[in-house]
Amino acid sequence: MSTASRDRILAAAKANKPEELPLPAVPDFGGEATMERFTTVLTGIGGTVVRMAALEELGETLQRLFPDARNTAAALFRGTVPVNAQTPTGILAEIDLAVLQGEIGVAENGAVWLPEANMLHRALPTITQHLALVLDHRRLVATMHQAYAQLPDTGGYGKFVAGPSKTADIEQSLVIGAHGARSLVVLVY
Amino acid sequence: MNHALRADKFLLDADRTTWHDETLWFVREKRDRAVYAVPEFQDLRELASGIKNHTLSRLDMYLREFEAAAQANGVHVHWAADAAEHNAIILDIIRKEGATRIVKSKSMLTEECHLNPYLIKHGIEVVDTDLGERIIQFRDEPPSHIVLPAIHLKKEDVGDTFHTHLGTDKGESDPQRLTEAARQHLRGKFIAGQVAISGVNFAIAETGAVVVCTNEGNADLGVNLAAVHIACMGIEKIIPRLSDLGVFTRLLARSATGQPVTTYTSHFTKPAAGKQMHIVIVDNGRTQQLGRPDFRASLKCIRCGACMNTCPVYRRSGGHSYDFTVPGPIGAILSPNIDMKKHSSLPFASTLCGSCTDVCPVKIDIHTQLYKWRQVLGEANEIPASKKWGMKFMGRVLASTRVYGLGGQFARKALRLLPHGLTHAPSMNAWAVARELPEAPKQSFREWYAQQPAPAAQPAQPQIPA
Repeated sequence: MSTASRDRILAAAKANKPEELPLPAVPDFGGEATMERFTTVLTGIGGTVVRMAALEELGETLQRLFPDARNTAAALFRGTVPVNAQTPTGILAEIDLAVLQGEIGVAENGAVWLPEANMLHRALPTITQHLALVLDHRRLVATMHQAYAQLPDTGGYGKFVAGPSKTADIEQSLVIGAHGARSLVVLVY
Repeated sequence: MNHALRADKFLLDADRTTWHDETLWFVREKRDRAVYAVPEFQDLRELASGIKNHTLSRLDMYLREFEAAAQANGVHVHWAADAAEHNAIILDIIRKEGATRIVKSKSMLTEECHLNPYLIKHGIEVVDTDLGERIIQFRDEPPSHIVLPAIHLKKEDVGDTFHTHLGTDKGESDPQRLTEAARQHLRGKFIAGQVAISGVNFAIAETGAVVVCTNEGNADLGVNLAAVHIACMGIEKIIPRLSDLGVFTRLLARSATGQPVTTYTSHFTKPAAGKQMHIVIVDNGRTQQLGRPDFRASLKCIRCGACMNTCPVYRRSGGHSYDFTVPGPIGAILSPNIDMKKHSSLPFASTLCGSCTDVCPVKIDIHTQLYKWRQVLGEANEIPASKKWGMKFMGRVLASTRVYGLGGQFARKALRLLPHGLTHAPSMNAWAVARELPEAPKQSFREWYAQQPAPAAQPAQPQIPA
């Protein structure tokens, strides 16, 4: 590590920068924070939205949606595989289904904020074959502006997840299930 | 070799050129649909431009703020003046870890610094984990687009490549099955990876976090399984506040591919317990560009690729014809700053139609800068003699009414009298290679106008009493 380069870069940035310009304030543009919009957008990008009347329906809903899931890791109930930050990669790689609590849903783009505290292990949301995020319908916002306004901070790690892992790197043909979860279902209560 | 000659090679396969052109235009159309669905999109572009302009005007201060915040998060921050220092820093981190197996997600900066060949030369296995990048890594080719690195290839090409390297069935060209083969292959690499290298889409000064946007999830998978994360960023990736991401995340994917947002927008702030996180901050010519008032706005770029998808020249010449890490219109204004001689033909690879400027989510005046680079290159004598003297000659002709009139008379006669094979000879008239000239008229508009009777005087208008 070279402090000489650090000092040179900072000095050059200072010497070469233009006259100071103001930082614009970003308004809240309003928008539609509805479950209809969220559902339409998320469905359009390959995700699924399932409405539950109450959180108590979670178990039977998952049973119905994922009858074949053997290795399940879950934060909201006892999964078949206990996972924490120390779980070895070999065990994580065998997980079929992860069920985690999402914090904020964004109607304009179908994204759900997933903080590290809700992940069990940082790699779990991408290494699992299928991902189910549970979301309180009252935590829906219209836009990314409103989502960031609700985040106190981003913790050590956290991410917006919008749909399943996908790619179009071969001839622009959309393929769902690149490296991360092959499917994403958002369970709204 | 210049851009035009490299483009000629691309154009040899007419069907493929047409496919390339139409496919990228399709992406541009998807972008339009996504953009028109957001009523405040133009306001967002203005805000993004304003935030980036402000950040550049306080860049040294924001870099210091970012460094302090990242260090407080337990992140190691490194500074690299150029590509060589960037590569040496990364090799040093890898060696200290005793690692030999590296997984890397998309980073145009590491392409710019030629990190892969450097690491491989030093006995380190580095695997590109983005599907498109893995395809071209197998083929030992550079990316031809910053968002769609393998857009120059057809599925049959990918099938052949995977047959050779991954043992898929010969002739298999189904994108679904090829992607599944890559998924299985790369899962093994992710699980074995010791050090993960990623790029950075945004670096937030107030929190010290780096944000990485992917659709495949390869950055998250690589980083969260490896013991060490190295994030590489140019100094221009800084944004002041977390809330600024509201603006940029709404623009990036819509501009790039027409998606409402990338699948994963991941905020890496602190290393996981027992693990390491490093950030390498790179200059490599950026502070020099900051000091060029006409060209500093190019540092606002968020690498969405919209200017490429819309560019009529890029779509019909392919990314490799630019022979620079970042192709297309934005590459043509970044590259002369790095090496004016080598990239002197790129600012001319444009019709100056301005479509790039129209779609740029951070409002970079790309076509104006292309025009300005042409002036700089002309002053520096970095344009071919034929172009230079041709321009000087035409400048004289167009500056004089008399010479222009005489030239027109001569050209109209010559076009009527000389044989087609001569007036359209490709060696003398490149313009006519794929075009036909119109039939030369007998006289010009000015000659015709001069022959017309003088217009009748206007009748006097009645005076309106004051």
